[in-house]
Amino acid sequence: MYPTYPTTSSLLTWMIFLPAVGIGLILLLLALRPALRLSQKLLDDLSRAIGLASTATVAALGVHLWRGFDGREADLQYVHHAVWMEPFNIEYFVGADGLSISMILLTAFVFLAAMIASVPWWGRLDDEHHPHFSKRRVPAYVVLFLLLETGVMGTFCAQDFFLFYVFWEVMLLPMYFLIGIWGAPPRVEPDGRVRGGPYAAIKFFLYTLAGSVLMLLALIALYYASGPAVLVNGKETAHTFNLVYLTQQARDGLFQGAAPILGVAFPKMIFLGLFLGFSIKVPMFPFHTWLPDAHVDAPTPISVILAGILLKTGVYGILRFNLQMLPDVFWWAAPAIAVFGVINIVYGAFVCLAQKDLKKLIAYSSVSHMGFCLLGAAALTHQGISGAVFQMVSHGIISPMLFLIAGVIYDRAHTREIEGFGGLATRLPEYAGITGLAFMASLGLPGLAGFVGEVLVFLGGFGAADHAFRWFVAASVPAVVITAGYYLWTMQRMFLGNFNEKWSHLWDIHWRERLTLYPLAAITVVLGFWPHPVFRLVNRSIHLLVDVALGKGI
Amino acid sequence: MASSLAGFVPQIVLAATAVAVLVGDLLLAGRPGRRPSLAVLTALGLTAAALAVRPSAPDASLFSGLIALDGFARFFLWFFLAAALAGTVFGALSDEVHPERYGEYLILLLCLTLGMCLLAAARHLLMIYLSIELVSLPSYVLAGFRRGDRRSSEAALKYVIYGAAASGLMLYGFSLLYGLTGSLDLAGVGRAVSNASQDPASRLVLSLAALFSLAGFGYKVAAVPFHMWCPDVYEGAPTPFVAFLSVAPKAAGFAALLRFLLVGFDLGGLSQPPPFPWPVLLGLLAMATMTLGNLVAVVQDNLKRLLAYSSIAHAGYMLMAVAVGTDAGLRAVLLYLVVYFAMNLGAFLAVMAVREKTGSESIADYRGLGARSPFLAATLAIFLFSLTGIPPLAGFIGKFYLFAAVLAKGGAFFYVVAIVGVLNSAVSLYYYARVVKAMYLDHPETDAAALPLSGSYAALLALLALPTLALGVWWHPVTRAIERSSSLFP
Amino acid sequence: MKLVHLPTLFLIPLLPLLGAAWCGLVGARAQRRFGERAVHRPAVLLPWISFAFAAHAVAVLAVSGPDAVLAQRLWAWLPVGDLDADLAFQLDRLSAVMCLVVTFVGSLIHVYSIGYMHGDPGYWRFFCYLNLFLFAMLVLVLADNLLLMFVGWEGVGLCSYLLIGFWYRDREKAIAGIKAFVVNRVGDAGFALGLFLLFWGLAGTGRPVGGPPDVLESPLAGRSTAVETEEPRREAGRAASPIARPGGTAEEPHRSAEATDASPLPRTSIRFREVERILRDPARRHAFASQRWLGLSVLTLSCLLLFFGATGKSAQIPLYTWLPDAMAGPTPVSALIHAATMVTAGVYLVARLHFLFALSPTAMTVVATVGTATALFAATIGLFQYDIKKVLAYSTVSQLGFMFVAVGVGAWWVGIFHLVTHAFFKACLFLGSGSVILGCHHEQDMRRMGGLRRWMPVTAITYFLSCCAIAGFPFFSGFFSKDEILWNVFATANLRYASGGVVLWAVAAGAALCTSFYMFRSYYMTFTGDYRGATGGEVHGPEHGHGALPKESPPSITGVLVVLAALAVVGGVVGLPHLWHLPNALESWLEPVFAGSEHLVRRRDFGPAVEWGLMGLSVAIALGGFALARWLYLAARNPIPARLLESPNPVVRFVHRLIYRKYYVDEVYGRVFVDGALGASRSLASFDARVIDGLVNLCGRAGRICGDLQGWIDRRFVDGLVNRVGDAIVAGGRNLRLVQSGRIQSYVAGLVAGAIALVAITYVVPW
Repeated sequence: MYPTYPTTSSLLTWMIFLPAVGIGLILLLLALRPALRLSQKLLDDLSRAIGLASTATVAALGVHLWRGFDGREADLQYVHHAVWMEPFNIEYFVGADGLSISMILLTAFVFLAAMIASVPWWGRLDDEHHPHFSKRRVPAYVVLFLLLETGVMGTFCAQDFFLFYVFWEVMLLPMYFLIGIWGAPPRVEPDGRVRGGPYAAIKFFLYTLAGSVLMLLALIALYYASGPAVLVNGKETAHTFNLVYLTQQARDGLFQGAAPILGVAFPKMIFLGLFLGFSIKVPMFPFHTWLPDAHVDAPTPISVILAGILLKTGVYGILRFNLQMLPDVFWWAAPAIAVFGVINIVYGAFVCLAQKDLKKLIAYSSVSHMGFCLLGAAALTHQGISGAVFQMVSHGIISPMLFLIAGVIYDRAHTREIEGFGGLATRLPEYAGITGLAFMASLGLPGLAGFVGEVLVFLGGFGAADHAFRWFVAASVPAVVITAGYYLWTMQRMFLGNFNEKWSHLWDIHWRERLTLYPLAAITVVLGFWPHPVFRLVNRSIHLLVDVALGKGI
Repeated sequence: MASSLAGFVPQIVLAATAVAVLVGDLLLAGRPGRRPSLAVLTALGLTAAALAVRPSAPDASLFSGLIALDGFARFFLWFFLAAALAGTVFGALSDEVHPERYGEYLILLLCLTLGMCLLAAARHLLMIYLSIELVSLPSYVLAGFRRGDRRSSEAALKYVIYGAAASGLMLYGFSLLYGLTGSLDLAGVGRAVSNASQDPASRLVLSLAALFSLAGFGYKVAAVPFHMWCPDVYEGAPTPFVAFLSVAPKAAGFAALLRFLLVGFDLGGLSQPPPFPWPVLLGLLAMATMTLGNLVAVVQDNLKRLLAYSSIAHAGYMLMAVAVGTDAGLRAVLLYLVVYFAMNLGAFLAVMAVREKTGSESIADYRGLGARSPFLAATLAIFLFSLTGIPPLAGFIGKFYLFAAVLAKGGAFFYVVAIVGVLNSAVSLYYYARVVKAMYLDHPETDAAALPLSGSYAALLALLALPTLALGVWWHPVTRAIERSSSLFP
Repeated sequence: MKLVHLPTLFLIPLLPLLGAAWCGLVGARAQRRFGERAVHRPAVLLPWISFAFAAHAVAVLAVSGPDAVLAQRLWAWLPVGDLDADLAFQLDRLSAVMCLVVTFVGSLIHVYSIGYMHGDPGYWRFFCYLNLFLFAMLVLVLADNLLLMFVGWEGVGLCSYLLIGFWYRDREKAIAGIKAFVVNRVGDAGFALGLFLLFWGLAGTGRPVGGPPDVLESPLAGRSTAVETEEPRREAGRAASPIARPGGTAEEPHRSAEATDASPLPRTSIRFREVERILRDPARRHAFASQRWLGLSVLTLSCLLLFFGATGKSAQIPLYTWLPDAMAGPTPVSALIHAATMVTAGVYLVARLHFLFALSPTAMTVVATVGTATALFAATIGLFQYDIKKVLAYSTVSQLGFMFVAVGVGAWWVGIFHLVTHAFFKACLFLGSGSVILGCHHEQDMRRMGGLRRWMPVTAITYFLSCCAIAGFPFFSGFFSKDEILWNVFATANLRYASGGVVLWAVAAGAALCTSFYMFRSYYMTFTGDYRGATGGEVHGPEHGHGALPKESPPSITGVLVVLAALAVVGGVVGLPHLWHLPNALESWLEPVFAGSEHLVRRRDFGPAVEWGLMGLSVAIALGGFALARWLYLAARNPIPARLLESPNPVVRFVHRLIYRKYYVDEVYGRVFVDGALGASRSLASFDARVIDGLVNLCGRAGRICGDLQGWIDRRFVDGLVNRVGDAIVAGGRNLRLVQSGRIQSYVAGLVAGAIALVAITYVVPW
């Protein structure tokens, strides 16, 4: 029988539910408000403080986790394991292996940055005509923000499929409100379509839900196909949601035997069901159109989280479920996935080149960069998958920078029309500098974090057992040139050339923005030359992943 | 007989309460505090009835097999009593039930409840028919309760017409069954049916009988194509009754349907070939019902009407689990009914509250509610998202069990049913979210004055929101209880 | 090969980086507080220190034996699978030469910039970029593997972008920067692909790609990786000695084979030493060369791709177009980056990978041919340019062509030799032109100069000497290197087409003639005759506060000019022709590096007579070009050029326009690639918005429409009925007409019909 993972630490549970505690505090404040006679301002500041405190604590715990995590150990660590629901043998089972811990740390860090970015302190960020979003309905904002963190964190920690699904869905609700309420107000496009926060929110919500309901079916079907297992309390069960068991049983070929669904082999159908849900989150062409809308109309910190974290849940799911659990089907699907990855890369880059809205450009650049993750994962080589994972991390650092940068200019100029600017470098040198760094990192300049992921993906892709992948790489390498093109062109249109006097009232970045941008920039540079902190965590698990894949594939 | 009476105490208490309310209504005529005292009286009666139920009593049949006394019946007994209590309280709160006529309302409600209790327990075709009528007649009156309101009387009339036709069909079906099997007792019918189904000649009659009887149940659960009364009745009838109607009679219909199919028609499929292709037929009905309900709900602008179509859709989800005819399916339906009880009543309660403040039920008037009445809006949002089936809310657990039951049955057809089902629940998000959008994302164009929520409403909303939240993360007790109460007396 | 660990190696690139960090982070404030001193003192001092370290390193290298290589491994950079990209530096005799040139010329130009950039508000930025460039260039030179080299490779590209667009307010300059970066990226894409192909091609010669062995050893492997990557610094100390690790692992097999030739060959590698060792192994070499992809041998293909990268960086056909535009940058930048160092990186790359290229005569032929073609092509364009910097730019492209010819025919050391001498005289020429531009208040058009020798003698003399050097006057540095190149081309038998040597030689000779001509043309137009400049024209750019007439530049500039001119004159002594039976320092210094490949390239040998003849010929060419230029342009006396310009003869006009407009290559590229890309992007974007997103919204709308439709039916059926019933009530009151009226029947009939339909269904469905 397979090993049962007894509880070794409750650290992850704390990281997941500390934000929930923050929520509780804020609700308490709201309830007690009449009694305490809190002024609106005091209430807002208190809830902001609570939000900062909880995210900061989670980040601190993340550092602790990072120091304590043993990269040599392939097994789950920091396991917290208990029976949740006897019927359906659902367990509360959280733990971290190399794959998840990178994402957990990223989450902890990016949420802290995003929380700092949602606080109107430490620097002027609006004028009386354009009140900043971070001053509206603050307690509700913080509550939903923290709920989102709980959901994301749980998604990355969960080792029980049902638990994973619950957290996965929990991410949706707050995102809907955060985009819808604090996002851009509804506006009528030139072509008469109504766009804006509410539209983007429901689009995101429906799109993701449509993907995840099929995932739900796959999950249930998988459950009924699964073999006997043991709950952590020693109870023998006929079926299981436990990911470790499911993975094991899948490798033991348990699911090959299962009855085909609608004429398609069982594992393939499960694979497709899961993959659809994940690929929408990635987002994979052609399911990507929710992303530009959501990114553009969301408030800055939420775009930061969307790009930095939420997109990663898709790739994480693909690696964790489609690859780790169904490697043989993955081999079958790999070329298709790679092709879609290439389309993402090239298509996204080209579409970027035509964008006029800075934020939309960045959004499409995310489409392009997430394509690397797909291509790398599909390559099924050490370099490819490490590249995919590292790309997740680096994109998780760089795209938040980019969105924060877009936010900086939007807070000041209340427009993101690239053409409208010009010569800003004269007026905002520091901002221009940090933007240049972020752009360079994003276009994969060697020596910065972005390069590591991309080159590993390309290298790994080139070495895939299937030589068609050489074509895929050859097809996507030119996109690197296009990427350079649109970033430099944007740089030139916004910052270079003659200064557009219209913007002489703008002011350079202030401390709150430094607080978020500089740490991210520092990480980008350090990881570029010294990616060891990431590889230390993930190498081992990726190695096992590849072994599984190769073992099945050849 | 005596033993039968012993097992029949709850129903007796219920009837007695009805009489007591009638008398009390007359005595207290014109006195102050009439409404509350009547409400208290009814509540006490219902509680007494609930206490009179003996959970540990062995399964048996009463009155020479007219009524079954089993876990299944017991479960629904409690369920209906709770629903009736809710109906009582809602009626007391709402201004749509004129204080003068509150007693009347209560009497009808109690008779209706009695009918439902009998229906859930009936294991005899005539008993089923009688109790269905006992459910229907008060419903007609209550549907037309608001005299002078044209919509209300229209709704009542339509309801009557449908009811008449449906019960007529059902009676016809029963008579065919009787002619075919020579038995009115469900168990006997069941035995005879499995024999009769062997010879093809009698199959046509059998299926006619099956379908005509189905019409009666389908009408009660508001399943396509017997659903058409639903939206107008919901729109026309007083909201407290609609809230009750959307939960209790639906549940009663499912109770009768389940017993009829499982006991009387061998849905479990013990005999080969099965007497009748229930799974396929019900599966198709389920898909049609949920699809129509959801799609039409998308375009509704009146929240009550929207909830009417949503309740049709939910009937579809439950039919899906009925169709599989397994024990898991049965339990899934029961669990879903419990969840549905909390979230649907909650939604209607919120509608009542808003109607009381703004006098409107159109979604447009919910704009800015999130700011105007935060607690009300928050709870309504919870109910609606729970109806959508989004974790970690109770609705998700209910749906999860339904789909689990369907997939556990397996087979291409049920996979299709399940896929249609999940896609439907994705669609349903759209119109539920429309309400939430109106409340939170849109801004009121007219007045944005705060709407203070009366304490009783707040308390009730909280009371219903609590299980909607709690069952989403800790539903074990309920399932355990259902384990015990899913036993059917043959 | 013997590895010597040198702990100070990393300081050579690091020091300029520190300078860059200083200028970039605090430079602006420091400049405001303490003036330019605070910027340029560290920024100029640090490169000199790093030059000192480089000199010391070369000394160490020299004393530690001919086949010694200085190495230092800082930490594992990308320890993934078989990939062995470490952050590690190596200094062999080849990189030693480059290193010295880069640090020395670089430092000189830093000094020069003090005077040249004086008063520019972006002073600190300039030195920041310049230091950063030095860092990147040194990483490129010292990298011990291709991937780390790629870091420097793109790093210098970035700096070139930043410096070309240094005066970013001028849109043209900014655009020129973008052009340089993007064109370089095109080349870099080729570089990357070549690298991948090389890596996996070698892997193919080892164990089967992605083979199970990794799987089998994985647990051990994983652990050892973790150990290995956990304390990379400790490793750094032991880079020299063979480093034993717990089990030569699948993760990093090369580790156990760190140094000695005896150690087993890695499966694959991207480190120059290891690749060379693998390719020296006959079996592996054969296995590698026999792989094919796209109908070409993987060997040739990877060579060609890498060379494509080189053409981008070194401005060869087809990717040379960015270099002339790059002249938008400040002149010291043109001197340092676009003449002396960065643009020679491609030559260095080919020389660095001699063991690879030597195996593929096809690739070598391509290199040589492209080099020759570029040499002539660019030289012809140079003939008619008026912008003094443009002339120098095209001459640079052409000279780079010469270098590629050299490495293309397997005369690697000669290529490097020309690289060195070129670094001296071309830097001197550029700085001279810079001094001129400064003197003429940022005037760059030679037609508005003239007679400057009177005002700026030092500049004039140094410029003249450098012209002699580049033209190849006897005993000047350029003479030796260029003559060696021509001789080697003539004598090569390594080309894939018959008597290619002679053809290429002829073409190259023609290019040399052009070179000599347009260089002296520029000299005479600029320095002789009388001043044609607008006296006291408006001064854009940095204000130097000098008056109307040109004046000699400050000593910080002239000093540098003198040093470089001296080197341009005598620099050739390091590579005296063996014909003269004199010691050839450079060749013997580089001999150990290229020893392994020498025997792979075939040469014909002619008697010394031929060689003497060729030498004489090239002298003649140099003098001929000089004479022609002097005759036509001395003091602008000769009317012929003007008359030629006026000439109505269509042929003359056409030829002149064609060459003057650089054969319209820029225009063609712009149409095809730039517009093509933009057009594609626009159409794709609208496709995305219209089609893809349109489909998504369509699904939503379709749902709504279905809802409407069904709702309509529902409503019409139900409500229509209700209304009719209602009317019936109103009309008929409570009497029986209601029941009699057919309406109810019809409606009930509908319900019955529904039931009957269900019966039908139950019969069509199988059961």
